[in-house]
Amino acid sequence: MSIGCHLNRRARVTIVQQLADVVAENSFCAPGDRQLRVAVRQLSKAYGVLWALKDIDFEITGGECVALLGPNGAGKSTLLKLLAGLTRPTRGTIELDGSQVGRGGESDKSRIGLLVPGEHLYDDLTARENLRFFTALYKKNNTEPKIDRALAEVGLAARSDEYVAAFSSGMKCRLSIAKWNLLDPELLLLDEPYSVLDREGVDFLEQSLARRCQRGSIVMMASHHVARAIKICSRALVLRQGKLIFDEPRRHPWESFDRLFGEFRPRGE
Amino acid sequence: MMEILRQACLVLRKDLRLEMRRRESLLTMFFFGVLLLFVFHFSFDLTPENVVALAPALLWLAFLFTGTLGLAQLFQAERENRCLDALLLSPLDPGALFLAKVFFNLVLMVLVELVVLPLFWILFNLRSWSPLPSLLAAVFLGTIGFCVLGTLMSAITSRARARELLLPLLLFPLMVPVILATIRCMEAVFRTGGLDDAAAWLRLLFGFDVIFLTLGILIFDWVIEN
Repeated sequence: MSIGCHLNRRARVTIVQQLADVVAENSFCAPGDRQLRVAVRQLSKAYGVLWALKDIDFEITGGECVALLGPNGAGKSTLLKLLAGLTRPTRGTIELDGSQVGRGGESDKSRIGLLVPGEHLYDDLTARENLRFFTALYKKNNTEPKIDRALAEVGLAARSDEYVAAFSSGMKCRLSIAKWNLLDPELLLLDEPYSVLDREGVDFLEQSLARRCQRGSIVMMASHHVARAIKICSRALVLRQGKLIFDEPRRHPWESFDRLFGEFRPRGE
Repeated sequence: MMEILRQACLVLRKDLRLEMRRRESLLTMFFFGVLLLFVFHFSFDLTPENVVALAPALLWLAFLFTGTLGLAQLFQAERENRCLDALLLSPLDPGALFLAKVFFNLVLMVLVELVVLPLFWILFNLRSWSPLPSLLAAVFLGTIGFCVLGTLMSAITSRARARELLLPLLLFPLMVPVILATIRCMEAVFRTGGLDDAAAWLRLLFGFDVIFLTLGILIFDWVIEN
């Protein structure tokens, strides 16, 4: 059983909040440590005549947890796909530690992960078989106890030998969290992870992300759950109609974000 | 190269496991192959005089059509839940994915052929079983060519909406050299009992297999992306 399972919900939330504050202070890498860096330059992507993204520029360094926000059709998922190397940019470059990302690029693919709830898992394999397959593909020396631990951490230990087809969307998302915990990429991209998770699942996810940033990895999360995303992230990027209109680190108070936030905040937040 | 083979084995093992659980492709191919043989049996009267002309074409037609059914399902597991993206995101070499899919399709085809060929012999009351090993060798080389080119075409059409329609339209014209060479080899076997008269066709088949297998490994990255 994971430590997280022994703690009550309030204690877990407190730990997540404390870790998130540490993320926000962005003080994980000791001076002289090699710091991970993602550099996006003049990035544009067109689908036919429609520009999904246009002239995006930003840099992210190790330990940052970035919230990628914006209305539907702003280009969030396209940006994540480009960063993951699943599609080629029409113009511009993405570099991970100076190596070009994407098909034909020279960067190591195992350094980048993309978590999309309910996707990237084989329905007719069990949860354990999915993890075994992907860890073998990534040449991770994950023994069965590590897989057991990863499944226990997301509350799936009892269902590890069930087919993924029988899982709910939330359970699939938990399995994806376990998968990326095992594969341990340096840049983890998440597309709407909150949409299918229950409160316990959200806690598992946030603990995992906070730990990851604390170790110096980069997390970028696209979400419509603005308040929740901002709570754990150290920086916000806001896209609108394919353009980057806001890029600031989190601070208290954050009037510039609050002015913008009202525009995108979904009802009820 | 060893890493590509390791990755190909991983994907192949996963595909075989999924097929053992679903049994969609194998059962469909098997029943369709047997059904075709019965249709041919009722449609044609094979005599010792016309066996050389008819049997190779009928057999190869059965393999071609059943194989096409398998090819249409080849990337089904990767289409579900966008698992193809998961593979492309991973350090998996696209060449390894191509090799795994070729071998997976080859396993299915060989299993079907091992049932269909003897059944053909029984249904058409062919007297001598001695040409069967030579025939299997010719069919095996032809099947490799079919699987190699078929996997490429299946990958090209895997994201198309009308892929079941598009696949044979793209595949069959390109398969002409394989179809021709395999049928000529099979004719030689039915005529003489061996492959001695079909050396040139065998070389063509072998060359086709090697060239397209190499080409497939090299260009699969581009094929899967576009």
